[in-house]
Amino acid sequence: MHPARLLLLSTLPAVMVGCSWLPLPHALSPQPEPTVVYALGTREGFRSPLQEGNLRPACPALEFSGTTFRLSGAHRRTLEALAASWQEKKPRYLIAGYCQTGLPEDYARSLSERRAQAVRQHLIEHGVEAANLQTVGFGHDSTPSAPTSSVVVIYRQ
Amino acid sequence: MHTARFIVLLLLASSQAVCALTLPSWLRFSQKSEAPAQPTLRRVSLGEFTGGTGGSARRAVLAALERASGLQLTTDRPDFLITGSSTGGRITGRVTAASGKKLLDRTYAAPGLDENAGAFADDVILTITGKPGLATSRIVFVSDRTGTPQVYLCDPEGREVLQVTHHAHGAVSPSLNPDATAVAYTSYKSGFPIVQWLDLGQGWERTVTDTPGSSFGAAFSPDGQRLALVMSFLGNPEVFVTDLSSNSAACVSDTTGVPSSPSWHPDGKQIIFSDDRGDGPRLYITEVPESSQAQASLVRWRTGHAFCTDPEFSPDGQQVAYTAQLRSGQAVIVKGWPSGPARVIQAGGAAHPSWSPDGRQLCYVQHGILYIHHLSTGQRRAILEKHGRISEPRWMK
Repeated sequence: MHPARLLLLSTLPAVMVGCSWLPLPHALSPQPEPTVVYALGTREGFRSPLQEGNLRPACPALEFSGTTFRLSGAHRRTLEALAASWQEKKPRYLIAGYCQTGLPEDYARSLSERRAQAVRQHLIEHGVEAANLQTVGFGHDSTPSAPTSSVVVIYRQ
Repeated sequence: MHTARFIVLLLLASSQAVCALTLPSWLRFSQKSEAPAQPTLRRVSLGEFTGGTGGSARRAVLAALERASGLQLTTDRPDFLITGSSTGGRITGRVTAASGKKLLDRTYAAPGLDENAGAFADDVILTITGKPGLATSRIVFVSDRTGTPQVYLCDPEGREVLQVTHHAHGAVSPSLNPDATAVAYTSYKSGFPIVQWLDLGQGWERTVTDTPGSSFGAAFSPDGQRLALVMSFLGNPEVFVTDLSSNSAACVSDTTGVPSSPSWHPDGKQIIFSDDRGDGPRLYITEVPESSQAQASLVRWRTGHAFCTDPEFSPDGQQVAYTAQLRSGQAVIVKGWPSGPARVIQAGGAAHPSWSPDGRQLCYVQHGILYIHHLSTGQRRAILEKHGRISEPRWMK
């Protein structure tokens, strides 16, 4: 075998192993999350469950386990039914995320907001107009009106 | 064949270039982590204080100096001599070197004697050791003792506890500015999380961000002119840097995950934050763009821990303290920046570390109690307990 080819074949595995921990280039890396996000509209007119205790949930609370912020099949079915019923009266919804205690405080706020945004994204993709949706993440700074604390509650406004 | 060889060589060269920037710490043979220099003890003599309140002033200054690191109080061949006078609570203090050179001569005329003694002691420590004293520093934290989370301040001894906020729905995520004259925090007073700025001297406050979605995690830049914080009005949470004078904001993260708890490098050019992209929160470093057109580069910092939150750079920028999830629960970790071993400072539920201004101690919470931990001796003490459940401490100045 030509020495140059031998050198090439011997160094290639080392280079591949050495680079295996490097992040893939953006174009090659898998993108599980949608790259299109919908910016939030104005919050004016939306009422917070902190100030009004009589806000009614529009559907059963969506429970999340652990620290995941991906929607499960059950979540998707609930949201698709909600999106279908939204077409009748076109109400406005406040999507409020909550987290269990025990998580670091700032992380819990961001995680609950991220879950609320995932719910909002799915509702928009199934026909709910973005201007009718607003999100908030409470972390574990307040407790929801739900059986568990690691939930997203959709309040009808 | 030539083309293939060229491509392999190019790949090799480019991978080495990237590796030089982002190699994990355990692979960086060339970078030796320097052993921390042993602090030299400065021999200091505290002389008499004249005047009507001279005795009380001397005792207060002595107590503050005894708590300081890097000083040895002695009357035997001192390197520095401290003298002063005090009348009616005012203190005039002087520091003289052994050579006779006058290093400090200042009058402190705040309303309280303890306040003046603390300010003088801090100036003495800064003059002699070059590191800031802690007597006038403050720790800001959140406590639920009134039933809702509110922001409080205390001194490093756990005294002079002051409730800063009285919002009906609570206030969380506080940060003190570098001279401890203002605090930024997240308020729920409108029912939604908004970031507010409160002047502690004047008592007036203003809203920094009231954007749709959530705003939280505010952290003052070292110059006190900017805030790093998380906002979600774009449709996903991102870390922003907002200029307090112009109210403009620039996004410095690029994530569809869960970014949280940004914190500044002391040079004001980098921000470290935690981001969960689906595999648990990890630490990322981003550069702060100096102009609106500049790109912010983003690098993941491999700490060896899978669940890292609440990072904070040490005052000298050489280390990072953060919370990690170990098998035994949450733990406070200190790791050299950009490389170095990770040390578990306290396990068993300790969380949210924050550096003392001189970089020698950490404050953190464990089971709702506020602790101060001396890093060189390993000794710690609870400075505030039975004050509700304490969380999110930050130590400034």
